[in-house]
Amino acid sequence: MSFVHIQNVTKVYNKNKVLDQVSLSISEGEFITLLGPSGCGKSTLLRAISGLNDITEGSITVGGKDITNLPPKKRNVGMVFQSYALFPNMTAFDNIAFGLKMDGLSKKEIEPMVNEMLDIIDLKGKENRYPSQLSGGQQQRVALARALVKKPTVLLLDEPLSALDAKIRRSLRTQIRLIQKRLNMTTIFVTHDQEEALTISDRIFVMNHGTVEQVGTPLEIYTSPKTEYVAKFIGNYNVWSRDQLKGIPMNGVPSQGEMFAVRPEAIQLVSTEQAGHIGEYTADGTITMATILGNVMRFDVDVAGLNIRVDMLNEHGIGRLNTGSRVKLVIPSIEWKNIQKSD
Amino acid sequence: MLLLLVPFCVWVIAFLILPAVGMLISSFQNEGGQGFTLGQYSKALTHPLYKTAILNSVMLSLVSSVIAIVIAVIGAYSFTTFSSKVRDRMLNISNVMTNFAGIPLAFAFMVLYGTNGMFTLLFKKLGLSFLTFDLYSWTGLGMVYIYFQIPLAILLIYPAMYAIKTEWKEASSLLGANSFQFWFRIGVPVILPGIVGTFSVLFANAMGAYATAYALVLRNFNLLPIQIGGLVSGDVFPRIELGSAMAIILFVILMIAMLINEKMLKLARKGY
Repeated sequence: MSFVHIQNVTKVYNKNKVLDQVSLSISEGEFITLLGPSGCGKSTLLRAISGLNDITEGSITVGGKDITNLPPKKRNVGMVFQSYALFPNMTAFDNIAFGLKMDGLSKKEIEPMVNEMLDIIDLKGKENRYPSQLSGGQQQRVALARALVKKPTVLLLDEPLSALDAKIRRSLRTQIRLIQKRLNMTTIFVTHDQEEALTISDRIFVMNHGTVEQVGTPLEIYTSPKTEYVAKFIGNYNVWSRDQLKGIPMNGVPSQGEMFAVRPEAIQLVSTEQAGHIGEYTADGTITMATILGNVMRFDVDVAGLNIRVDMLNEHGIGRLNTGSRVKLVIPSIEWKNIQKSD
Repeated sequence: MLLLLVPFCVWVIAFLILPAVGMLISSFQNEGGQGFTLGQYSKALTHPLYKTAILNSVMLSLVSSVIAIVIAVIGAYSFTTFSSKVRDRMLNISNVMTNFAGIPLAFAFMVLYGTNGMFTLLFKKLGLSFLTFDLYSWTGLGMVYIYFQIPLAILLIYPAMYAIKTEWKEASSLLGANSFQFWFRIGVPVILPGIVGTFSVLFANAMGAYATAYALVLRNFNLLPIQIGGLVSGDVFPRIELGSAMAIILFVILMIAMLINEKMLKLARKGY
């Protein structure tokens, strides 16, 4: 049974359909991510759930209660903004306590609740600091606590990690996930970062032009993209049309389908000199570029004018593969994913 | 590089420091520029004419600054709700208006609201006499002061108002606050330092205004800058020493206003 139910939500803004008949169901305690590039409608959908944006059509139900026409403060949803949106004239404690004060709770009731939150976000001892005296990561944790302290039915996170540097982003996303699991909080997370979405989510909703293009677990989305758009957005997939493959000397191209996606790390690459043990292979090619990405080496391989991207673990001996090396490529048949062409 | 500072230093010494020191010395001298006395200050602070001039100036400056601040806060907030194109134009107009003061402003008011001013005659003809006012009264003088204070106040308050983020309003509404609660607990405390700072600038601006008041009411109204002007240029004969003492008093009042402003700023910011 779904806890958050969004049905046929459409939002028209200046004659543009920002959301077009979007429907999605989220279970209680689930962590889902709305993933897509800027302008795909993910933040608009989140703001529609919070009540900060109205919708043109459709309905939004949370916990069986229709909240479509309720003002934001009556929806009991918590939201964390990309810019933290902490009140600069209040300390961390007062920021967290703000919502409880608005609910008319007494100081006696508020204090233990805020202290519990400070414990959860690991900011005990910094409660008297103003936002300007906290780091970006600490500010975002305060913003998270401020949203959680009111025990909302749904937690909405609007690109909360985008303004932080990579290291803090990684540690904070783990922290967010742990807190979410601990509180069993139904959470909707918005991001344009596919790595973030894959790491943190129970399910991902990939959005494109105001519609949901594909829904699935991170593994499903990553390993089995259904459309050209998802394949290109979610990773560094090789995406080819049948027309592009015509005339290319490759073995094992599926006989069905018009569009194909192949994960770069699923392709095996062996230098021609060492390829004696390879029986059946897909194609011969020449490395046109070798790039170190840290633990992974990325090769661009030219096969009769077709560029094939290959990612390999940066392990001992890989240095022998350089620009200009002749190589044999092996693409296991299971890795040829049949996908739909996107507009 | 230090050589480049020489013209600036010469300028500051010749036209700022030396006249100020000269004025300070002169304020402690007898009429005729001799000896040392506190008599000029005693006269300035006890003689009904000069005491009233100080009080009138302080009152006029306080009232016009308070009214201008209230109007400017509302005006600056409304600016933030306009599109950037309209906003820029409004700010440009404010900028021009800020510099429209002194004799041209007094003349413009005379043409529009003087005894035979355009609007005065029009309102009378339309039977709307209640809309007219005596420009050459304290009310009239106050109106002119408020007029030249508003655009300056808008320009000074606008950045603080613009810094209020939409996300704060959104976050507060999601946390259960209504619009009044937002402004009471977040909006006003955030812009308060800006308001306090602007108030002190407006106060100083009004305290020192001379040309507008002089052009409008000549010496018929007893204001501190007009008295200083009269003492220095001479009614019958100049009284430079008393004028200097009055000018130092004006300076001290402005310094006190600035110190209060600084204290208030610290209180308003409360650590953030």
